[in-house]
Amino acid sequence: MATSMHLSRLRKWIVASPPIEFAISKLRDLLVGAIRQGPVPQHVAFVMDGNRRFARSHRIETVEGHNLGFEALARILEVSYRSGVKVVTIYAFSIENFKRSKFEVDALMEMARVKLGQLAQHGDILDRYGAQVRVLGRMDLLRPDVHAAFTKAVEMTSRNGNCVLNICFPYTSRDEITGAVRDTVAEYSTPLQPVHASTGSVRSPFSESHIALKIQAQSQSPPEPQATAAEDTPSDIESGSESSTRGEVEDDHPSSPPGKVYEGTGSSFSSSTTLHLAEAKAAAAAGGNSDNDNDNDNNTSGKFQSPETITSQTISDHLYTKGNPPLDLLIRTSGVERLSDFMLWQGNENTEIVFLDVMWPEFDLWHFLPVLLRWQRRISKQKVNPEAEGDFEGDSTPEQQKQQSPSSTDDVPSDDMLLHNDAKLKGL
Amino acid sequence: MVSQRDRDLFRDDVRSRGTKLSAAEREKILRPYLPDPSDISRRPTQRRKKAPRKTPIRTFLKSQLHQFTYTLIHIFFGLYVRIVQAYHALVDRILAIIYYHHRTPELIRKDVKNLDRLPEHLSVVLSMRREDDALAILMDDVAELAAWCMSAGIPVLSVYEKSGILKSCIPPLHQTITNKLSSYYDSSRQPALQLFAPHHPVYNPSSDSERTQSSAPGSGSLTVLLLSATDGRETFVDLTKTLAEMSQNGKLSPEDITMELVDAEISEITTQPSQAAAALSDDNSNDQSSIESPGVSIKPEPDLLLVFGSFLKLDGYPPWHIRLTEMFCTGDKISNISGCGEAVEYQGFIRGLWHYAGAQMRFGR
Repeated sequence: MATSMHLSRLRKWIVASPPIEFAISKLRDLLVGAIRQGPVPQHVAFVMDGNRRFARSHRIETVEGHNLGFEALARILEVSYRSGVKVVTIYAFSIENFKRSKFEVDALMEMARVKLGQLAQHGDILDRYGAQVRVLGRMDLLRPDVHAAFTKAVEMTSRNGNCVLNICFPYTSRDEITGAVRDTVAEYSTPLQPVHASTGSVRSPFSESHIALKIQAQSQSPPEPQATAAEDTPSDIESGSESSTRGEVEDDHPSSPPGKVYEGTGSSFSSSTTLHLAEAKAAAAAGGNSDNDNDNDNNTSGKFQSPETITSQTISDHLYTKGNPPLDLLIRTSGVERLSDFMLWQGNENTEIVFLDVMWPEFDLWHFLPVLLRWQRRISKQKVNPEAEGDFEGDSTPEQQKQQSPSSTDDVPSDDMLLHNDAKLKGL
Repeated sequence: MVSQRDRDLFRDDVRSRGTKLSAAEREKILRPYLPDPSDISRRPTQRRKKAPRKTPIRTFLKSQLHQFTYTLIHIFFGLYVRIVQAYHALVDRILAIIYYHHRTPELIRKDVKNLDRLPEHLSVVLSMRREDDALAILMDDVAELAAWCMSAGIPVLSVYEKSGILKSCIPPLHQTITNKLSSYYDSSRQPALQLFAPHHPVYNPSSDSERTQSSAPGSGSLTVLLLSATDGRETFVDLTKTLAEMSQNGKLSPEDITMELVDAEISEITTQPSQAAAALSDDNSNDQSSIESPGVSIKPEPDLLLVFGSFLKLDGYPPWHIRLTEMFCTGDKISNISGCGEAVEYQGFIRGLWHYAGAQMRFGR
């Protein structure tokens, strides 16, 4: 025990000695510079897990563990941004974490406040290096002073470009998704500005007859999602028909797709009339419904965006991470192999999820490097052999996959090619 | 890399809650570590158009050195990966010899007997192979997994396959699983099987009398749920559309949308397969399904997610329910980058279960 302690002290002393320190920092520079030469993930997320377990196993205070965790974060941010990562998202605090001891929560809050307060003092450096800080999550759950510090830091850096640091402060992914759904619904249920027919036709870049044709085509082959819609809103249809003045609506409504109904809501918009001319029978229903809707809203000239235009991109655009590149890499330390309500939406497409068996305060370039190398290897292999698995488009149909079958087995040749290229480069 | 001296200074400052050092002092510590601002070509507006660098040769040599290091690292990393791959392949084969099920439920039960806990809901991510008979292989894999789950005592198995091709062939799949089960179990104690997919009715072709006879006491039952990419983000899109519609009609205000509401709606789709879908599509619904439907209630959140692939990628898996799901990838941690999904083999399954039993659970505390 005693010898090992002496040894570790000796090791520390050697590592801390100026020449070794210099050599290590040069080596790091070299490695980071080397990483830059290949493809680099654009968006990396970290779950900073293991601070407390690290503190426990090293018999230091929990708060001290969090401080060491912050140092690890600084190290990793340096490595990430210098190797060309554009966006780093960190899971700093979960909404669930409010359940922890008050002492610890307060300490974490205090830490965040102090760090961000310090950050705000170095405005010119931040400006020069162009890092942007964003806070993702329920800021309204924070203490006022912490909230103020966050707002100030976000405000100060909001004009910077280049690199983005997303701090998920009180965050859970379910909350985020719910919020995105709510915001989308709110946006779609705000009436558009009433448009006069003349200005509307000038303003709109779309051909109205084309839209009408599209809607007809849609109504002939109703899309599959209808099943859910109808399943979720039986009461909706009933109550709608109760308040309607015309009896025929009741019969027509279930068979007519909702998109049509909403096209009809704006009586001032001329596309609806085109549509009505085309489909006289449905028009009666749509017209009836549009009157009905307008009555409900007490806004006779209001027109809504059609809910049929909502896509998964719409929801993605209402998440906290809007505008960021897709998540390429998600790293969780401490060996726990769960997402714990982090980036559920963002991480479910082409994200490589990596669980590392290392506590966050110990996490450094040496752990990050193999992950990056593996990612680079996979991506560069995809470029050589784009049909291989894990392609960015991701949705290859079975037919396509069958076509790709000849190239799926030639793993070794492509690798040889890579090596060959490398050898050539070396020769140069 | 921060030097020891500066780190100590920094830690002192942290201990005093950032009062010891002034902003200027902190900047002084920081400055040596910042890269030269001129290196950062940020903001295309201040375009210096490759202003002649002070040290062109040094820059060139540096970039060459980095390029060289990059190739060198990747050569060695590739070698390392190959070695690890070979090692894992060896271990895998050895495990495959030691642990083989021999189509005997008792053996499988013995393998899982000593585990502290078993998942109540196991989810697997499979991918289509590229051979001609990919669908047949896929269905056989599902059948094998179903048999293993049944034997291990896992009541719910959900199978995710991105394209959703499995959903389109539920009857043949049911047949395949039944055949597989009959090769594991005697005909006298054939366990009960329920197979369904969201928006599809429960498929159960056997008549009632036959079913009661087949689900003999002690043989357990298994529910197989088929998922595809459309049950993921698309479901949220549909939900949002419906909610937006309701909101536009003034039947709901956006503030009413809570996590509980979304959770209830999303869970309903994967746990209650039947009524609405059956009522909507008359041609699909048959009598058995409507009888069967109330019996189905499964835990929507999987406890363990097994990814049969070379690396952990969710590939469009429904996002909502995997919040606390343990994930396990049967492929090697490092190797096997090319090629598609790994073969579904028993030792991968059993390793996943071991892994799950060893993992500890903490709910945000």
